Amino acid sequence: MQRMIAVDRLARPEDHILLPAQRVRNARTEQGLAPSNAMPYEEDFLKSRMHGICAGEFQAMEAAGRTLYDFPDAPWEFQLDMARQVWDESRHAEIYLKLLEYVGSYYGEFPEGEVLWSCTQAEDPAARVAGINRGLEGLACDVFEQLIRLAQKMGDPIIERSVDYVLADEITHVRMGSKWMRQLTEGDPERFKKAQEFQNGIDELFNFGGGRTTVEQAGQIKQRVGDKEIEIDSGITIAREARLLAGFTEEEIDRLVKGFGKSSAY
Amino acid sequence: MPDLGERGNVMGPQPIGKIVEPPAAMLAAAGQLLAALLRGDFAFAEAMTTAQAREDIAQITKALRPSAYDKSELIARGRVAHHYFLKARLTGGNVAPFTIQFRLGEDNGKWTVREVLNLTGRRSAWTK
Repeated sequence: MQRMIAVDRLARPEDHILLPAQRVRNARTEQGLAPSNAMPYEEDFLKSRMHGICAGEFQAMEAAGRTLYDFPDAPWEFQLDMARQVWDESRHAEIYLKLLEYVGSYYGEFPEGEVLWSCTQAEDPAARVAGINRGLEGLACDVFEQLIRLAQKMGDPIIERSVDYVLADEITHVRMGSKWMRQLTEGDPERFKKAQEFQNGIDELFNFGGGRTTVEQAGQIKQRVGDKEIEIDSGITIAREARLLAGFTEEEIDRLVKGFGKSSAY
Repeated sequence: MPDLGERGNVMGPQPIGKIVEPPAAMLAAAGQLLAALLRGDFAFAEAMTTAQAREDIAQITKALRPSAYDKSELIARGRVAHHYFLKARLTGGNVAPFTIQFRLGEDNGKWTVREVLNLTGRRSAWTK
C-alpha cells in the first residue's frame, strides 16, 4: 500500500463529489456569496457547517489511520494513540451523519472539500501530529464550541449535547498531539522547529487573514433557525476555554487572536 | 402498534429541517446536456454553456468519440448554494466509459453550464 497519500489520490466512492476549494469559491462568488464557506446569514448555514464538519471527521479518521500506517517505526504508544483516534473519529463521523439527518440534510448534499486533507502532507510524524492534532483539532475545538453556543441559543439540546460529546474527544486529540510533538522531537530542536512551522502554516490558513476573534469580541448577526430568530457570531471564533483545556498556552491563544497564526507546543 | 417504518412514528428527536430537493428544471437541463453529447450535437451543448466554460466544453466534445456512446447516467450531485455540481457517465458498447463533471447555475429561469471537466480515469476534480 502506498504511503503519504496526496490530495489527488484520496479515494472516494464514484457517487461522491470531491472538489478543490477554488472550485467552491468560484461557484459561491458567481452567486454573489462570500467566497469560502456558507456564512451565518445564509439559509444553508447550519446544514453546510454540519456537512463540512462531517467530511472533516471522515478525513480526520483517514488521517489518523494514515499516520498509523505511514510511520511504522514510531513508538508503539504513538501508534496506539493514533489507532484510538481512528476509532474516536469514526464515532464522530457517525454522530455527524445523524446530525445531518436531524437538520434536514444528508452526506453528499454538498461537495466535499480537500483543504483539510491538504494539511496532512507532512513526512515527519512530529510535523504530522503538530498539523493534524494541534492545528486542525485545535480548529475543531473552536468550531465545536461555537456550534454548542449556537445550539444553546436555538434551545436545541440534541445538537448541543452531541457536539459537546465530540468536543471532549477533540480536546484529548490536541493533548495527544502536543505530547507526541514534544516527545518525538526531544533533543532535536531543528526537527521541533520544522514541526512547529508546519503547524503555523495550518494556523495561518485557518486564521482567515486575522479575521478571527475571541468569543467576547465576535460581531453578532441575526439568523433565522426554524421559527426563531437568534443572534450568532459573524465568523469563526477562538475558543479560549476549550483550547486551554486542550493544553494550548495563553500565549499561543493570544497569538491566534492577534492573527499571528504562530503557536508553540507547551 | 406504531409503524416504526415511518420516521414520524419513531420516538425521539424529529428532524428540524427539510431536505432540499434538486430543482426539476436543473435535472432536465442536465439531461438535455447529456443527450446532446450522446447524439454528437455539440452546438447544442455549447449553446447551453456560458462563455467562461466554452473552452472546457470544447475539450469535452473533442475528447468524446463520435457515435460511440448510447447511454448516460447522473452518478453524483452536490450543491453549493443554488449551483449544482453533477457527475455523469456516458457508456457505449465498445468504448470505455466517459466521465464528466459539470456545474449548472440558473439565471433568469435558464440553467447553464458554468464549468465542465473531463473526469475520466480520475478520482476527483483536483486539477493541480
